[in-house]
Amino acid sequence: MNAIYGLYSDPTTAQQALDNLRSAGLSDAEITVISSEPFEHFEFGHRDAKTAMPWIAAAAGLFGLVTTYYLLGLSQMSWPLKTSGMPIAPLWTNLIIIFEMTMLSAILATVITLLVTAGLPSRGGKLYDPEVSDGYILVGVENPSDAGSLERALAIDGARVKKT
Amino acid sequence: MAYRWGMAIDLDKCTGCEACVTACHAENNIPSVAPEQAGRGRAMHWLRVERYYEGDFPNVRVKFRPVLCQQCDNAPCEAVCPTYASHQNEDGLNAQVYNRCIGTRYCANACPYNVRFFNFFNPEWPKPLHLQLNPDVSIREVGVMEKCTFCIQRIKAAKTAAKAENRAMVDGALQTACSQACPTTAIVFGDLNDPNSRVARLAHSPRGTKLLEDLGAEPKITYLQKQPWHESDAY
Amino acid sequence: MNRTLTRPIADDLIRPLFQTSVWFYAIVLAAGTVVACGLAAWLYQMWNGIGVAGIRWPVFWGFYLVNFVFWIGISHAGTLISAILRLVDAGWRRPVTRCAEVITVFALMIGAMFPIIHLGRPWLAFWLFPYPSEREIWPNFRSPLAWDFFAINTYLTGSVLFLFLPMIPDFALVRDRSTGWRRRVYGALALGWRGTTRQWNRLESAMQIMAIAILPVAVSVHTIVSFDFSMANVPMWHSTIFGPYFVAGAIFSGIAALIIAMAVLRKTLRLENYLLPLHFENLGKLLLLMSILWAYFVFAERLTVWYGNEPHEMAVFWATQRGEFAPLYWTMVVCNFVIPFVLLSNVYTRTITGCVVASFGVVIGMWLERFLIIVPSLAHKQLPYSWGTYGPRPVEITIMAATFAAMVLLYALFSKFVPIISIWELKAGQLSTSTHPSAHASQASHDSHSLRAAAPEVRP
Repeated sequence: MNAIYGLYSDPTTAQQALDNLRSAGLSDAEITVISSEPFEHFEFGHRDAKTAMPWIAAAAGLFGLVTTYYLLGLSQMSWPLKTSGMPIAPLWTNLIIIFEMTMLSAILATVITLLVTAGLPSRGGKLYDPEVSDGYILVGVENPSDAGSLERALAIDGARVKKT
Repeated sequence: MAYRWGMAIDLDKCTGCEACVTACHAENNIPSVAPEQAGRGRAMHWLRVERYYEGDFPNVRVKFRPVLCQQCDNAPCEAVCPTYASHQNEDGLNAQVYNRCIGTRYCANACPYNVRFFNFFNPEWPKPLHLQLNPDVSIREVGVMEKCTFCIQRIKAAKTAAKAENRAMVDGALQTACSQACPTTAIVFGDLNDPNSRVARLAHSPRGTKLLEDLGAEPKITYLQKQPWHESDAY
Repeated sequence: MNRTLTRPIADDLIRPLFQTSVWFYAIVLAAGTVVACGLAAWLYQMWNGIGVAGIRWPVFWGFYLVNFVFWIGISHAGTLISAILRLVDAGWRRPVTRCAEVITVFALMIGAMFPIIHLGRPWLAFWLFPYPSEREIWPNFRSPLAWDFFAINTYLTGSVLFLFLPMIPDFALVRDRSTGWRRRVYGALALGWRGTTRQWNRLESAMQIMAIAILPVAVSVHTIVSFDFSMANVPMWHSTIFGPYFVAGAIFSGIAALIIAMAVLRKTLRLENYLLPLHFENLGKLLLLMSILWAYFVFAERLTVWYGNEPHEMAVFWATQRGEFAPLYWTMVVCNFVIPFVLLSNVYTRTITGCVVASFGVVIGMWLERFLIIVPSLAHKQLPYSWGTYGPRPVEITIMAATFAAMVLLYALFSKFVPIISIWELKAGQLSTSTHPSAHASQASHDSHSLRAAAPEVRP
């Protein structure tokens, strides 16, 4: 694939490069920023931060709660066996299993949401440079329309600019 | 009306002869464990006669108490079984379903009377002892819990016969192995729901107590013994 | 941020993946042998019947249940360190978090074997799983053992995911540094991770949610394990204190296990610059706190029993206090309270060695505590005629030894194939102090302890 990107050794320079690309007229969706760790104290670390994941987890938990409540009741009443004088489907004891299944549903939903929204597992073919693992931050554009002007925007403080 | 099987054991009549224990072993195919295993606490006496000594020699009194599954109404052993191997059946008995038992032994721990026994090994009856097995009672394999069933095989047979002959059960005709073997008729078995049965009348006897009654398990066996009269009993 | 600051960190922490010392092979061989013996013992038990163990009438639960509760207790290490410290954003957790989560996962796996090992008919253990069976019967959901099934499986699933998710970026790092089969394997494990801002934000959100979710699950798991005992009307089992008591004890033993694991890793993987005396200090203080909390629970429970003077309970009470279980009981008190209190309450002995000694004491003491909860009560139930005794047999001891060896083996294998310290979390913690303009001085000095030590002298 066709891409142009710069490798920066510190986040301030990377932030600058990102701002340069924005002033060159690119939208956030067209710019890719890749790093080997999250940079929460920098503005570029907060791109794409909005997520509905907590809501999805809560909804899944609620689904697990209701489903387990009914499944327990149904299975216990399907063959009512008396034990220790307790009710056939006691709420106190069922609550324990309902709680566990609620939490399990929330956890599984969180993981599935993570995999789907993060695009994992991915078979590659996307912009990446192994030097990121050495601590460099990659700021670049896939399929650029005007590689020349972008090259100027990305070349800050002598950072390496690569083209693929 | 449904049946409610119960028992009354008269401790004043019990001589501690243990004929009941032997009869139970014979009727229910209870395996005998070797002396070494018995020494390791693996003997399985569904019904045991507990001996208590009072006083010092030469004024020693021995008291006997046959202890067997109390078939509790609020049996602590039932709710804890994860596979419903222990549950209450329609006659009020605590049923032990051998096929469902996976051997967690929680029921045995929960039973305050310690009347549940576990098959630690596969039982063996070296020939020709296998000929003495009761064909009406299944053999339990290793890992399965067992206990007194009030001779449920006899109960089932009696109920089936009564139904086939379209008559009610006669009190005293159906006997468990222990009540049948007892030479002093100390063990009385019958239907507590039948107000005319011997056991129902004995259950209301002023000599009657229940074992560990304050635990709230509501056992169905009434122990009869002469109650000492205290000055404080008079109003 | 200078590139030279992070490359040596990654170098140090992935070196064990590429270099194997002879010690690794020795440990794996030794631990593997013991584990094999344990498997043989279990097969012997399944073939001959559970009677080869020491359990008997009326003590139907023995070593296997003790070990079950013990290992589930150990598994609470990870949750406390990872989840709670992550939620309060304590920086010093960063090098420690993966060590702790690994203990959780492996201790849970080991602990979850015991409910199967102790069964009379273990080949039918699957009946605890709720599936529509042709026998038209479901598990008894009113039984604490059914609750155990759900709780332990939920916690195990949650912990495995909680461990695996933050490993993905580290797998990507190893993938980029390796060639050949390693590149393929770690590439597959990394799931194609690149590290875009979107992926980082999603991962952080997921970890935050999971940390919040896993905490109540962890509390519930050991509470439900305690319900295995407190639901039965057995003297000194039927106590309302068991839930909180067991959870506190679990966290207590978990921290001790974590300290031991960290000390071993520090020596064997040469992580002296990452697992610092400060980490052991902080964990040591937590251990001291849990020791005092444990003593508080034991005191509250025993005072209530003694004051109530109920005959059934007093029989068990005196059996542990003065009777046949007294030597074990007082050893437990010394190991769980006296030794940790003395060693950890003053700064002179709260060194790495002091913490490790105290932790060994706690591990032994907590094992004894489980034993003393289970066996004396079952040996002295309500009817004195049916009181009994219990002694372990070789099968139980072998299987127990095999579980400790299994822990060592699994841990050694894990630290060989996965970086035992979370590289990206360590780097992220370091970055937040060195570059963020508004970082407070105190925050900087606190978080700088998560940095590697100043001089970059460690080289392969």
